[in-house]
Amino acid sequence: MRKIILLLLVTILTLPAMLFAQGRVISGNVRDAGGILPGASVIEKGVANNGTVADANGRFTLTLKGTSNVVTATFIGYNKLDVNVSGKSNNIDITLTSSQQGLDEVIVVGYGKTTRITNTGAVSSIAAADVRTVPTANIQNTLQGKLPGFFSQQSSGQPGKDASDFFIRGVSSLNANGNKPLIIVDDIEYTYDQLQQINVNEIETISILKDASTTAIYGVKGANGVLVVTTRRGKAGRPQVNVRVEGGLQSPTRVPKFLNSYESAVLINQATKNDNATATLPFTQADLNAFQNGTDPYGHPDVSWYDAIFNKLTYQANTNIDISGGTDNLKYFISGGALDQNGLLKSFPDPRGQINNNYYFDRYNFRSNLDLKANKTLTLRLDVTTRFSNLNQPNVGSASALSDIYDFRIMTPFTAPFLNPDGSYAYAFSPYNTAHLPTVNARIATSGYSNAKRSDYNVLFNGTQKLDAITDGLSVTGRVAYASSEQYTRGAGTYGNSIPSFHYDPVTQTTTKNPTAPYVLGNQYYIGDINVYQTNVNLQGFANYDRSFGKHHVTGLFLFNQSSQTFYTGVGSDRVGVPVKFQGISMRGTYEYAQKYLIDINVARNGSDRFAAANRFKFLPAISLGYNIANESFFKDIFKNVGLLKIRGSYGLVGSDVAPGNQYIYTQNYLQGGGYVFGSSAQGISTYYEGALANGSVSWEKQRELDLGVDINMLKDNALSITFDYFHNVRYDQLIFPNSIPEVLGVGLPAINLGRTQNNGFDGSVGYHTNIGKVSFGSNFVFSYAKNKVLEKSEALPAYPWLARTGQPIDQPFGYHFVGYYTAADAAAINAYKASHQNSNLGNSVPAPNAASPIQAGDLRYDDLNHDGIIDESDQRPIGMPNLATTSLGLTLQFGYKGFSASVLFQGNFNYSFIITGTGIEPFQSQFQPIHQQAWTPANADNAQFPRLTQIAGTVNSPSSYPSDYWLVNAYYVRLKTIDLGYQLPTKMLPFHINNARIYVSAYNLFTWDNSLKYQQDPEIRSNTAGDAYINQRVINLGVQLGF
Amino acid sequence: MMKRMKNNITKILVLIVICAAGYGCKKSEQFPVDKISIFYVFNPKDSAGTTAQAYLNNVYNTVKNGHNRVGSDYLDAASDDAVSRSLSTAPVTLLSTAGYTSASTIDNVWEDSPNYWSGIRAANEFINNIGVVPVKGFVLNGVSNPTSGVPNNEVWKSEARVLRAWFYFEMVRRYGGVPLLGDNVYSLNDNVAIPRSSFADCIKYIVSECDAVKDKLLAFPLSTADQNSSNYRITKGAAMTLKARALLYAASPLFNGGNIDANNPLTGYTDFNADRWLQAANAAQDVINLGTYQLNPDYKDIFLTQNNIERIWIRPVGINNTIEGNNGPIGASVSGNANTSPTQELVNSFPMLTGVNINSAGSGYSTSDPYGTTVATAKRDPRLTFNILYNGAQWLNTTIQTYEGGANKPNVNAIQTVTGYYMRKFMGLQETATSSYNTHSADWVIFRYAEILLSFAEARNEVESAPQADVYTQLYAIRKRAGITAGAANNYGIPAGLTKDQMRAVIQNEWRIEFPFEEHRFFDIRRWKIAKTVMNATHTGVSIVKTGSTLTYNPINVLTTTFADKQYLYPVPYNEVAKNPSMKQNPGW
Repeated sequence: MRKIILLLLVTILTLPAMLFAQGRVISGNVRDAGGILPGASVIEKGVANNGTVADANGRFTLTLKGTSNVVTATFIGYNKLDVNVSGKSNNIDITLTSSQQGLDEVIVVGYGKTTRITNTGAVSSIAAADVRTVPTANIQNTLQGKLPGFFSQQSSGQPGKDASDFFIRGVSSLNANGNKPLIIVDDIEYTYDQLQQINVNEIETISILKDASTTAIYGVKGANGVLVVTTRRGKAGRPQVNVRVEGGLQSPTRVPKFLNSYESAVLINQATKNDNATATLPFTQADLNAFQNGTDPYGHPDVSWYDAIFNKLTYQANTNIDISGGTDNLKYFISGGALDQNGLLKSFPDPRGQINNNYYFDRYNFRSNLDLKANKTLTLRLDVTTRFSNLNQPNVGSASALSDIYDFRIMTPFTAPFLNPDGSYAYAFSPYNTAHLPTVNARIATSGYSNAKRSDYNVLFNGTQKLDAITDGLSVTGRVAYASSEQYTRGAGTYGNSIPSFHYDPVTQTTTKNPTAPYVLGNQYYIGDINVYQTNVNLQGFANYDRSFGKHHVTGLFLFNQSSQTFYTGVGSDRVGVPVKFQGISMRGTYEYAQKYLIDINVARNGSDRFAAANRFKFLPAISLGYNIANESFFKDIFKNVGLLKIRGSYGLVGSDVAPGNQYIYTQNYLQGGGYVFGSSAQGISTYYEGALANGSVSWEKQRELDLGVDINMLKDNALSITFDYFHNVRYDQLIFPNSIPEVLGVGLPAINLGRTQNNGFDGSVGYHTNIGKVSFGSNFVFSYAKNKVLEKSEALPAYPWLARTGQPIDQPFGYHFVGYYTAADAAAINAYKASHQNSNLGNSVPAPNAASPIQAGDLRYDDLNHDGIIDESDQRPIGMPNLATTSLGLTLQFGYKGFSASVLFQGNFNYSFIITGTGIEPFQSQFQPIHQQAWTPANADNAQFPRLTQIAGTVNSPSSYPSDYWLVNAYYVRLKTIDLGYQLPTKMLPFHINNARIYVSAYNLFTWDNSLKYQQDPEIRSNTAGDAYINQRVINLGVQLGF
Repeated sequence: MMKRMKNNITKILVLIVICAAGYGCKKSEQFPVDKISIFYVFNPKDSAGTTAQAYLNNVYNTVKNGHNRVGSDYLDAASDDAVSRSLSTAPVTLLSTAGYTSASTIDNVWEDSPNYWSGIRAANEFINNIGVVPVKGFVLNGVSNPTSGVPNNEVWKSEARVLRAWFYFEMVRRYGGVPLLGDNVYSLNDNVAIPRSSFADCIKYIVSECDAVKDKLLAFPLSTADQNSSNYRITKGAAMTLKARALLYAASPLFNGGNIDANNPLTGYTDFNADRWLQAANAAQDVINLGTYQLNPDYKDIFLTQNNIERIWIRPVGINNTIEGNNGPIGASVSGNANTSPTQELVNSFPMLTGVNINSAGSGYSTSDPYGTTVATAKRDPRLTFNILYNGAQWLNTTIQTYEGGANKPNVNAIQTVTGYYMRKFMGLQETATSSYNTHSADWVIFRYAEILLSFAEARNEVESAPQADVYTQLYAIRKRAGITAGAANNYGIPAGLTKDQMRAVIQNEWRIEFPFEEHRFFDIRRWKIAKTVMNATHTGVSIVKTGSTLTYNPINVLTTTFADKQYLYPVPYNEVAKNPSMKQNPGW
């Protein structure tokens, strides 16, 4: 109806002009990459007031009156586009590209919306449509490099477990769990793992709230920043159906290369010789020859276990269908999605062929968002969403099947043949594999699987009553949300070492059974357990006020929010049974004058039952101010091409209520022990003892946040947009365990509000959009930098200044400083000194560890910081940087030409460190890798890339015993993170009722440039001891999207 | 219009009710109901005092079990009596070779959980709170009228006070004076940066606590029925023995006249006072006068049989055979982990069966049969066999072979004796066991009567200008029980007319051979201030070469230990000094 009125109005107003116009009628469609855009405006260039609005099918019809032959299409949230229509009359396809930085772009913030021009806080947001085609299962994997201030790290590529950890503006808390951002989906709090279950197709927008003024409404949960997600809702119009079907190929971003039998044997001989020059070498020349020429595949096997176990490629598929539409009274959005990711494992079926033991992940998402206008003033809303997932993995290995292949003590290339000549399973038959386990393929095939089935349910019921009758612009809303998640893991295994496995001796041509194994495969058993059971009931009531008086615009919000969460996580008795309760009221008031002077005041008073009654509630205020200089007339006169120049600042207090360990720190508990025996019964009797002291004054972590920002849009059509934010946060009263109280106290200590850190940095983006002829071009550069520092850690005064953790970043690694390799002369000097000093190196000018195996030439020499001759914990100092990058950059480039579109994202992380220890790198724990061939030998002393190989564990050459900057990689990476190439078919080619069809190729993690090749692992991994995380995946994906 | 308004107001009311309903729900489960508070432990309605007694049991639990306590060795492996089989990597070796600093301490009873400070706190909390528990019952201690008995909660409280004194004593003999906390149970906001009390005050406190409560404790022995449930508890005898031991240490040279930092009251007395020896002798005499205890006729049995007459106080451990598993020889039908290797010096300190020192002329000692396993005249003090497994000893129904390449020293594995000897003490009667170790009581004996006799002898010897008859009497008693023959002179190998110094040497050696591995030697060589001599030395073992049926015994050097004056006391852990500005470090650290 409104459109008809508008059309009439336009027609009437332009009637006089029509008399002189050419009068040609054109028609076409307005769309974006995702489909049609009902409501987009199409205006003839050069003719005032000659325009139209695309209908529910995205179609427009316009009668041209001027002579420019150009029409301009505009839509909020999209870049303006001029289209030359000369020589065309119908089926003109206008494809708009989404704009991040338009002046009127709507930005979703907590319990409301704002626009780029009136926003005074630090917010970044994107439309989910921009990342919908990224072939990954989790929304958080798509945001890095897209949102300023967003840091993430994807440490596993396993299907179903590949969601990135993410942080907003880095980390500020010394609490391990105290840095997780609050996640809000449609104003309801979600957990980390609930978020990763959401289908990207259901999402409309994603915002991150970064400063006090935007997060204060969340009070004590806001200190880590807030990720705000809104889901798609129906718009009035005829039913619009979208179908998207895509399939992709996954492959590891980096495949570790392991040395073959011959190369490994050579290094084992080398290490043996290193440890004892006169020792008999484990491998004779004949052995080496046999490995090299492969003439004895059973006596001298050479198996590349990685290649034998893993495929190079595997398949994933994603299908989504959604339908939306409605009338003014009832609007709906209904969607369903199915995701299916396979794992890289080759097929090793169990002997009976009954078990699927591969990695895989299936997920089914359903959502129904309904809006009902019950009467003129009451709107009801019912959102129902469910997610079912199914995660499967084999029962072998601790972390992944890869961990067994990495572990030299379990498998080596010469351990056993893949199968014996008679087809039976072989077992590890090498002195290096003392457990003599059956081969990896045998164990995968017979050890069963583990399958986690998870269901998530969310219901949100909402009623909004307009109260214009009381005063214009007032409404109240009541909302109930219920969420539950449960996960049940069941699986099948095989009892003990019950896999029949045999050793084949090619000399005697006999097959001998593994002495500890049975002749037939043991029966399998089932096991099942609930891992996750959690519910969350959330109740919200709020009053909204929004009204303009001339140039004055006032809004107000009064919010009551209460939630109760029940957890069952399967671990930690303190997290069973007692619901976590939260309650709060928040208020927000904004005032703006002529979009020029902006004030935003937030106040929250929140309570959590984790604190004693007196400390339960906390008052958290924040204020922000903005000044739109560009809206001043004197400014407009001078700078005509500047559409927006706004300076803004915010300051406030937010909190975090995450407490380590016992969630009721304020209660003093007495615990029951046992184990004291007396008398002749040998029975333990019960004892009671005092648990860690209560901290009656335990309270929130608090954070003072300062943010100063500027928003600029300039050049023609405001094509260049710049946002820049500087922030300075101080997190204080952090709950940490004090190290400064003497042991004389005699009892365990609680967490105390003692820790203090600061975190400052900057982030922002520079976007530019233009049309070069018929090619549209857009770019957006996003940068984030956050550096933290521990100001107070309750540390006892360290014995040496370099041992101080205070003043360093959170999670700063400490270790030894490498100063070169020991020479033979050094080793001799140490041995002589120790012989005359009771086996102690104390006072020697050639420092060495005290009680370990003797130092030899080629061992790593570390800096003796306290000059006492002994390398020990006192010589550790900060090395490298924490594992979480301080710097993250992203560059998005977009091109469009007619129906073709391309979008690429280059993303890089800088300034972080990681280290691999144990089975990931240490000789005789890790499989031999190419780097081991560059180990120190007398001949290779100058070019050594690795210390002397040794069979002895825990020597100075071991990164797990002596972490050092020799092993730490100060890493960076740049990767071609995502790419999307598509072609949208012209409307005239579309049959039936199809109004949109797009074919596209997209990719994820396509190429990587980095400096961490030493460990042959993906640069996004965490520091780890095993080197066995499921490798991150590269995905190349092909998809079709249809709308009708 | 009015009607619509009313309608709207109804809706608002509904919304408010929904909110309020939620608000009202919060009153349940405001804290975790599964947690126990102090009111449950010290329950004013519990006339049996069950939970309160369980709390006292926790205080008892802080008492350390010395078996393989330091690393996996006995503390005595850090003295000249033994070494660790693991040699350079063992904590005890760091302790005996000065391989520790205030920042990396060994035997850290100050900080390592559960430490003595936690025991002291728990005792204080018990002492302060037990009064509210209306425990019924009395300990009659022989009197028949209940009103003359001691109420049970008073007995428990007294036990806690003695335990607390024991914890202080354990720290004082390691660190010198430590902070005395009184009955204070500090809370989080209290200043616990408490300075150390002087050594003299600490000893005074320990002694006065023992004196104050000794008559409010169980008087051992109880009726037979009570023994099993009460033999681990602090008794009157235990309190008096603790007092005797504290006074003996206080009278010893390290603290009495030989203070390593002469004018430092924290490290010992700043003067010498011979009267301290008298007090020690009297305290021991008091225990003897009780008449409660006797030497157990069988030396081995002291450690294996519960409720034997010699035990004064034990730390119960239960019934098992883990001592054998940890310290037994390898190569036997059941292999042990060979943890503690006794030194040749300890072996040599055992006299002959006649009580005569092996180096004395005519002792009968045979270098080709050093343990007297074949030659009758070469027989040794039976305590050698009770304490040490040597080549030719009986074990698990076979004969120990610790010659090179022998079954129990095969030289193919790092896990074997490094001195040629294995520890035998504390183990069950496994000599004739075959397929597996027998289980037995593995209680850690803290106080036994022999200590009282030797303490008395040592103190008395120091009091008088020359050894009196009562000194000899106690030594005879100990040697007689050990199985040493009285000899024609009826003197168990101790010649009459010894000078005070000669007698001191005899007594010190008797401590060594009567109490090996019982956490005496490590502290004795310190309190006598002889550690600087005996620990700046190379400790030896034996390498036995078997040629045909002939065995040749060659001494071998095993470990050279070092000892500086500062090691007479442990360093206060570095962190404690860093956290507490008024905490004074011991000299030299």
